Amino acid sequence: MMRRQSLFLASLLSPVTIYLGIFFIGPLAIIAVFSLLEPGLYGGVVWNFYHWNYGRMFGWADGVIEYYEPIYLKILWRSMMMAMFTVIACLIFVYPVTFWVSHLSQKRQMFFMFLITLPFFTSLIVRLYAWLMILKPSGIINDALLWIGIIDQPLDMIFTRFAVVLGMVYVMIPFMFLPVYASVERLDRSLIEASSDLGARGWQTFLKVILPQTLPGIAGGSVIVFIPSVGNFVIPDVLGGAKGLMIGNLVEQQFLDARNWPFGAALSMVIMTVVLTVMLIYALKIMRAGQNVGAS
Amino acid sequence: MWGPPDMKRFLKPGWLLLTFYSLIFFSFIYLPLAVIIIYSFNSNPMDMTSWQSFTLDWYRGLFGLAEVGPSLGTSAIYVESTDQLLKALRNSLIVATTTTIISTTIGTATAIAMTRFRFRLRNAYQGLMMMPMMMPDIVLGIGLLIFFVTLGFKLSLLTIIIGHCTFLSSYVFIVVQARMAALDPALEEASADLGANEWVTFKKVLMPQLMPGIVGGAMLAFIISMDDLVITYFIAGTDSTTLPMFIFSMLRRGVKPEINAIATLIILASLIIAVIGLYLRTRQVE
Amino acid sequence: MQPILEIRDAVRVFKTPEGGAVRALDGVNLDVDANEFVTLLGPSGCGKTTLLRAIAGFEDLDDGQVRVDGADLRRVPAFRRPVNTVFQSYALFSHMSVARNVAYALEVAGVGKDERTRRAGELLELVGLEGMETRKPSQLSGGQKQRVALARALISQPKILLLDEPLSALDRQLRQQMQVELKNLQDEVGVSFVFVTHDQEEALTMSDRIVVMCDGRIEQTGTPREIYRKPKSRFVANFIGETNMIKVTFDGKGTATSVEGIILKVSEAAPAGRATAVLRPSDLTLSDSKNAPAHAILGKVRQEIYLGAELHYLIEADAGGEYWRVTAKDEGVGFHTGQSVALSYDPDVIHLIEGDA
Repeated sequence: MMRRQSLFLASLLSPVTIYLGIFFIGPLAIIAVFSLLEPGLYGGVVWNFYHWNYGRMFGWADGVIEYYEPIYLKILWRSMMMAMFTVIACLIFVYPVTFWVSHLSQKRQMFFMFLITLPFFTSLIVRLYAWLMILKPSGIINDALLWIGIIDQPLDMIFTRFAVVLGMVYVMIPFMFLPVYASVERLDRSLIEASSDLGARGWQTFLKVILPQTLPGIAGGSVIVFIPSVGNFVIPDVLGGAKGLMIGNLVEQQFLDARNWPFGAALSMVIMTVVLTVMLIYALKIMRAGQNVGAS
Repeated sequence: MWGPPDMKRFLKPGWLLLTFYSLIFFSFIYLPLAVIIIYSFNSNPMDMTSWQSFTLDWYRGLFGLAEVGPSLGTSAIYVESTDQLLKALRNSLIVATTTTIISTTIGTATAIAMTRFRFRLRNAYQGLMMMPMMMPDIVLGIGLLIFFVTLGFKLSLLTIIIGHCTFLSSYVFIVVQARMAALDPALEEASADLGANEWVTFKKVLMPQLMPGIVGGAMLAFIISMDDLVITYFIAGTDSTTLPMFIFSMLRRGVKPEINAIATLIILASLIIAVIGLYLRTRQVE
Repeated sequence: MQPILEIRDAVRVFKTPEGGAVRALDGVNLDVDANEFVTLLGPSGCGKTTLLRAIAGFEDLDDGQVRVDGADLRRVPAFRRPVNTVFQSYALFSHMSVARNVAYALEVAGVGKDERTRRAGELLELVGLEGMETRKPSQLSGGQKQRVALARALISQPKILLLDEPLSALDRQLRQQMQVELKNLQDEVGVSFVFVTHDQEEALTMSDRIVVMCDGRIEQTGTPREIYRKPKSRFVANFIGETNMIKVTFDGKGTATSVEGIILKVSEAAPAGRATAVLRPSDLTLSDSKNAPAHAILGKVRQEIYLGAELHYLIEADAGGEYWRVTAKDEGVGFHTGQSVALSYDPDVIHLIEGDA
């Protein structure tokens, strides 16, 4: 009987093992390898160990073939900041709405959840294109502001970092909404009532009772929003122009324009490191929180 | 769960404000979609954001029904050719369909294994299944590109399909695993108890019970595959442009009015799929 | 006659996540005769469900044997065993109609459609669900689901029917009704039932024989009366019904003396030495202390609880020790808290459990 079971298990697991082993682990490993190879003169690689790809970014260079260029670190930093802004803006926009939705009737909750997730199912590129239409000098925002008379010249909104963050916020909203909503919906009402009964003001109740209880949802949502934001290249490409360049755009350039694959691979390794670090911190926090729950 | 009356007591002065804000929030979410749909009927060929008059010409143009062009002004650049658009759509459908079948099979098998068996590497597999979803698209995209080129694969629809399956298997896995975890393990035991071997139990009990999850996972995989741009962008060959890539390249070369019509059709198609999905889900709940 | 089910030295060890091991079955031996209704009774975690699952084939034994009709089932998978199970959750297939659920075993065995329909009809009639064939399980009440699960498990005429706490999800009234129905059904179909429960009342009502389990071992096997009247251990006495247990020293000749000096007259024959005297609350009679019978225990009422048909008292003996529990019929005259009373008993009903524990 045990033998039968093992065979069944093996046959269920072999597709994923083979598939991800080759087509997921393989590509990740090859990025790591490529990031340490010498770029060829006309694209391609020379199979020599070559650490200057990282030197170019982080400050060691021979000054002959490769130069230290601080711009890469600057753009990396900028990308992380923009991703942070996206997280914070998403949270601020979404947080009050999750409360509102959680107090509607069951049917309406379902309906608004549907409304939140629906845009996720419509084409990303179409939604970005829409923002292009809205933000451009003759778009509806400028038209409206001109008409009201707040401004007398169209604002330059398109092709700025603001546009990129706005686009990322728009795209990431469902990913922040769902985890935060899940924790808001589970809030223990009796604690809130107890807090107000004990004379706590609204904001005290919020800071001491509501916020700590929804923190897991906020943390989860933040991680899910941060990770795809930091390495994004489509949104800055469509809405950011030259001013809104992010680290993802650099990678793309190395592959499609500069044809310096090893350097592009090194840049990707950096993105991957940032992402893995964030996930690791999150996982450790979760584990610690779990232990605390277990201990109490 | 708290009922509305309690909440109104708790936030009474702010409740109206909160409602007002929330409704604005939801309009913000749908504003961009509405803008595109409205502009797609605007006849102004020079600046599609200033309203001229109602027209269906952009739609007719897409289907090759109207000779748009000179009649609407010479400076407008039109869809290169309806053929290219249709080819991109066809490519997308081929990729999405194949991907859905493969990733649904892999994801479902893995979900069954992970829920029904306790084995030593279980945690490792759980982590492995989460990784492709958390990996930034661009990293996976260039990784696959280097991988295919180094191993001498020709970039084509096949490489796109392979690439999509690496991360979509994980999406299907998550959805099916959730359904699987909600199933009563006694169902399979009952089937075995009544004389069905593993295969018959799988066919007659497990599969029908898992179907809502499998269908849900498959629809998700299909939609994401249809929409994927980043990974496709790196591993598509010259001949294998997909629909999102087609629109992306149009955007990069300057915006043309036909995009509005294409975008509106895409929005409509995804709305229909999403509504069908929701309908199926509510039906399966009862 | 050979027993229909024989379990020999069954051992099952589970590993805990912390790296330890739990012996869920620790050398269990049990025989069940044809047509017998046997109940496995015990607190959760005592191994009763593991034993049931080992008989069904959902659980492998680490050691020992399960034999049905003399045949060792060690290498026989669940789907080839001549036993069927009624699950605690019923485990009805929600995507199939009631009739198809009931006929599932026949469908799997390749029986023709007409025969399946006919047999499913018969079984549904047996459990009183005629006309429900086309319903979906989600349209049934808890009691109806229960009956469908029974019909489904009985259709292939198993040698033994295993029931895993099947009544635990029903409300009290329905549960009592189903207890009677189950017993009648068992008489009608003539199949051995092995029934798992943690509810002692359920066990007493239905069983021909009760098997009390604790920590993976069988504590005692016997008829409901034996289990109730002559528990072999303090655990069994405690688990089955309310009880007074007094640590005593027995002189071997009819007198037991408690630590506090209370003297009990015992008719049961037992060797001299330390023992525990077991007295059921209903075996004690309360009377006014002024006209106390001989050998009565004198004490004071500490608490009275009125339960309608019955009255429960807690009595503190003047000699001290634990409070005594007494159940009396409500006959108009009660005793009030603080009143001095005498506890009397029939020496025949006192049972002694030998030993110190």
